[in-house]
Amino acid sequence: MNTEITRAGSSLNQEEHQSFHDLFEAYNGHEGDLVPLLQKTQEKYGYLSQEAINEISRFLKISENQIFGVATFYSQFRFNAPGRHSIKVCLGTACHVRGGQVLGEAVGRELDVLPGETTDDKRFDFQRVACLGCCALAPVIQIDSDIHSRMSVIRLKGILEKYE
Amino acid sequence: MNKQSEPVGIIIDNRQLQAASGMTILQAAEKNNIYIPTLCAHKDLTPFGGCRMCIVEVEGMRGFPTACTTPIQEGMIVRTQTTQVNSVRAEILQLILSEHPVSCLICDEAEECKKYNVTTRKVGVTTGCRYCPNDSQCELHDVAEKLGIKEIGYPILYRNLRVEKEDPFFDRDYNLCILCGRCVRMCQEIRTAGTLAFKKRGHQTIIGPAYDRTHLEAGCEFCGACVSVCPTGALSEKTRKWEGKADREEVTTCAFCGIGCQIRLQIRGDEIIGSLPADDPLVNNGQLCVKGRFCVTETVNDYRRLKRPYKTVGITRVDIPFNEAIDIAAQKLAECFPDDFGMIVSPNCTNEDLYIAQKFTRAAIGSNNIDTSTRIFYGQSINSYLNLTKMSVPLSTLRKSSVILCVGLDTRFARSVAGVELRIATRRGAKLITINSHEHNLSLIAEKKLYPAPDNMLEILNSIENLTKLNSNNNDKGELSIVATMLKGAKFPVILVGPDLLSLPDSPAILDCIARITRNIEGGILPLPSHNNFIGSIFMGAYPEALPGGIRYDSDINIQKIKELWNRDSLDYDGHWNSLSNGADPKKKVIYLIGEAPYAQRPSCDYMIYQNIYHPPSSYSANLVFPTTAFTENEGSFINGEGRIQKVRKGVKPPGEARPDWDILCQIARKLGKTGFDYSSVDDIRKEIANFVDGFGDAEFGNRALVPLIFDIDMNIPTTRPLNISSADFPFKLDLSIIEHSYRGYPLTNWVSGLKSLYIEGQLDINHEDAKIIGISTGDKVMVTSLNFEKTWPVKINERQPQGKVSVTVPMSEFPGFIPKQVNVRKNDV
Ligand code: SF4
Ligand code: SF4
Ligand code: SF4
Ligand code: FES
Ligand code: FES
Repeated sequence: MNTEITRAGSSLNQEEHQSFHDLFEAYNGHEGDLVPLLQKTQEKYGYLSQEAINEISRFLKISENQIFGVATFYSQFRFNAPGRHSIKVCLGTACHVRGGQVLGEAVGRELDVLPGETTDDKRFDFQRVACLGCCALAPVIQIDSDIHSRMSVIRLKGILEKYE
Repeated sequence: MNKQSEPVGIIIDNRQLQAASGMTILQAAEKNNIYIPTLCAHKDLTPFGGCRMCIVEVEGMRGFPTACTTPIQEGMIVRTQTTQVNSVRAEILQLILSEHPVSCLICDEAEECKKYNVTTRKVGVTTGCRYCPNDSQCELHDVAEKLGIKEIGYPILYRNLRVEKEDPFFDRDYNLCILCGRCVRMCQEIRTAGTLAFKKRGHQTIIGPAYDRTHLEAGCEFCGACVSVCPTGALSEKTRKWEGKADREEVTTCAFCGIGCQIRLQIRGDEIIGSLPADDPLVNNGQLCVKGRFCVTETVNDYRRLKRPYKTVGITRVDIPFNEAIDIAAQKLAECFPDDFGMIVSPNCTNEDLYIAQKFTRAAIGSNNIDTSTRIFYGQSINSYLNLTKMSVPLSTLRKSSVILCVGLDTRFARSVAGVELRIATRRGAKLITINSHEHNLSLIAEKKLYPAPDNMLEILNSIENLTKLNSNNNDKGELSIVATMLKGAKFPVILVGPDLLSLPDSPAILDCIARITRNIEGGILPLPSHNNFIGSIFMGAYPEALPGGIRYDSDINIQKIKELWNRDSLDYDGHWNSLSNGADPKKKVIYLIGEAPYAQRPSCDYMIYQNIYHPPSSYSANLVFPTTAFTENEGSFINGEGRIQKVRKGVKPPGEARPDWDILCQIARKLGKTGFDYSSVDDIRKEIANFVDGFGDAEFGNRALVPLIFDIDMNIPTTRPLNISSADFPFKLDLSIIEHSYRGYPLTNWVSGLKSLYIEGQLDINHEDAKIIGISTGDKVMVTSLNFEKTWPVKINERQPQGKVSVTVPMSEFPGFIPKQVNVRKNDV
């Protein structure tokens, strides 16, 4: 058997493994436990790592593929470790018509990161969101808890530099 | 399952109909030949209600319910073809098509173009606009035509997704995908493999495995079930692209393993263009493994197939007419004393071919020197293995079993059909226990998983055996006791035996131990032999130790019966020929190989007759070569691992002058002036076999089970016994696993390139520290030696490989027969 093409074995050490199992304790391993388990896992670790999905898969005896499918259906789940800062580019209607899309692309280019992912240096994670609730100030981006309004691509670089 | 369903009266399109309650409107309509367009519905899958193509009007219901999800009710009045329904359907279809490259559906010239877009050039050139490999089988075409769609009133949106070609066997172009979800439901519900899922949602919805993993990484079994149900060209079989539709089918039995799945050969003209599962509830129930689904076509159509007989003169090959080849063979054999003859026949042959092979050897030549290549594969374990097969139960026993034990089994690729049954059993609540030295695909669903080192396998099984004894007192709470208690309390416990056990040095003891456990727990065995007709070869008597009927060579009853039937005065067989006793045996005059035989089993001889579907390996001097038929071109029967006699039906004509094995042998025998070899068809042979084996009597004998398997033979163990040595000269432990794909002695990877990406074979994994000491690096060739053992493999440095241990995977046709425990590894300087 070619072991390189079966990602069957767990890559976690005993301690990490135990940490997951503490989490699973309250559940009895039924299929219906999936979404609550995903939520609990994200609460504890901040995101759903590949290892987490592997552990949940073994616990519920459901394939990783099926779990990933369910998890990506809900916008609440993240699959990357959060960065030190998090950027949200608004693509709500108001922001969209005022160039939110272009802003989003610029962020991606500037930081070399795709939406939903985290930069390699873990400095930023990047999300696209719908309406941040300040449409009058469109287009808007949010970095951590700061709202940057009437954004433009030209101002972007300067603003990003403030976050280390 | 359903309680007795009462008929329900409904009216569809003004027709008064009766249908069983619990049916959907769609099912009721289809049953009465009323057409409702559908895209996401499929007879084998649960209703999904995704495409909304099947909307209908139902009196008293608001809106347009989907026929595929709405159950019928007494007095329901349904209209399927109103102007309004049809125009909404047309709108929906246009929306679907606006995301689907459609020029072929709406082009003005479509009709004209069809006439010209298949050319008769030698190469597969296509003319016309072809965006999609699913030409003329696309269900979108059908529906668009029925609804009369001529143009798309919506902006066209092309998703511009990369076509995924990195996996073997099928490509995926999700630009053509209409998100009907058939593939997902197939993979999750029926196949239970869970490789495919809907990912994300809304406009971004896409189908595939977790993250951006390839199918290979994600655990796909390459069963092709998803490809078969896809209504569009999104999923397409690599070798079948542009081949178009089959014009006929033939149901036959797969020859690639002892499960004996029923397959539907897809035939176009005189060529096999594909193989699909048949719905045989007794065996594979509409499932196949990668071999049955994707390897048949390439194996039987390879350009290297033998097409005409030839002889070798010096080192040149001279094609000769068939008659001349028969003459030469007869002449050589006439000069040969019975004891100077030997035949090795492939256990992939049909029963009828095997029966004639042994009759030829015994009655025409007067020799008892007939053997098959299973001897080298099972080696010292052959008797233990045969004993296990006597406890065979049908695969369907898994459907009622409450505890199942799998030893040394991985069902991802080979035998994935059994894997599906195991997953369905665990879904139903059965408990699965696995014992395996390697990580394996069943670990996801197993209740208890044991991973003994290969050296400890026997010890673990022995403990389980003791704990399952009737009066064993079982107070301790260790894992093994839990396992034993589960087994003892089980209903219809079944033990599945995988091929990994055969490559362990103490495999006979291990298999015997499994037999005792089975008896202790009053269970059944699913031995799943690798050679599809291994059981048949025993019942046909294709061994020196066995006569037809699976009876000892010296049993009086059978000798008597044979004398009468074959019209012979004397039949005295003293010696047992053992085709593996090479060195000890004097050189043979004539060796007749039917199918390729492993190197260690090719006895030395003066003259070799070689009969196969492929050329002999070039290094190998065959003096006379006969082309024969693959199972897709032959008729007869196989006996699968559970003892079921299964029909083999001819799909197409053999290539060139190839003839069935039995026919060639009978021609030679007649040339030799022997009587009893003038059969006019396989049916005549079957009738003769019926004298020895139950179940061969009537013409519709297919699928009769010979359960329990009763035979009484004792095989000679090969003389080359493993020596348990552990001296400083042989410092490494060898861990060897077998990949099971072979047909008539050749690995299927020879002909099926996709199979190579599923397994990494013939590569020796070694720890980096060990490699440093020996002075080798990845890619170097190393010589692995032990007493009576020498093999050369390329090496790969693997950090996860434990020090002092090396492991390698070899295809079963190159299986060395016995495996030394301890080996030496050194650089091959040549
Ligand atoms: S080939 Fe089989 S296992 Fe693989 S994705 Fe398709 S249905 Fe699932
Ligand atoms: S790939 Fe084929 S079967 Fe699967 S959802 Fe798309 S169109 Fe349907
Ligand atoms: S499981 Fe065996 S019989 Fe069935 S398709 Fe695969 S190789 Fe053929
Ligand atoms: S649309 Fe961007 S804040 Fe509302
Ligand atoms: S066939 Fe009924 S919704 Fe697709």
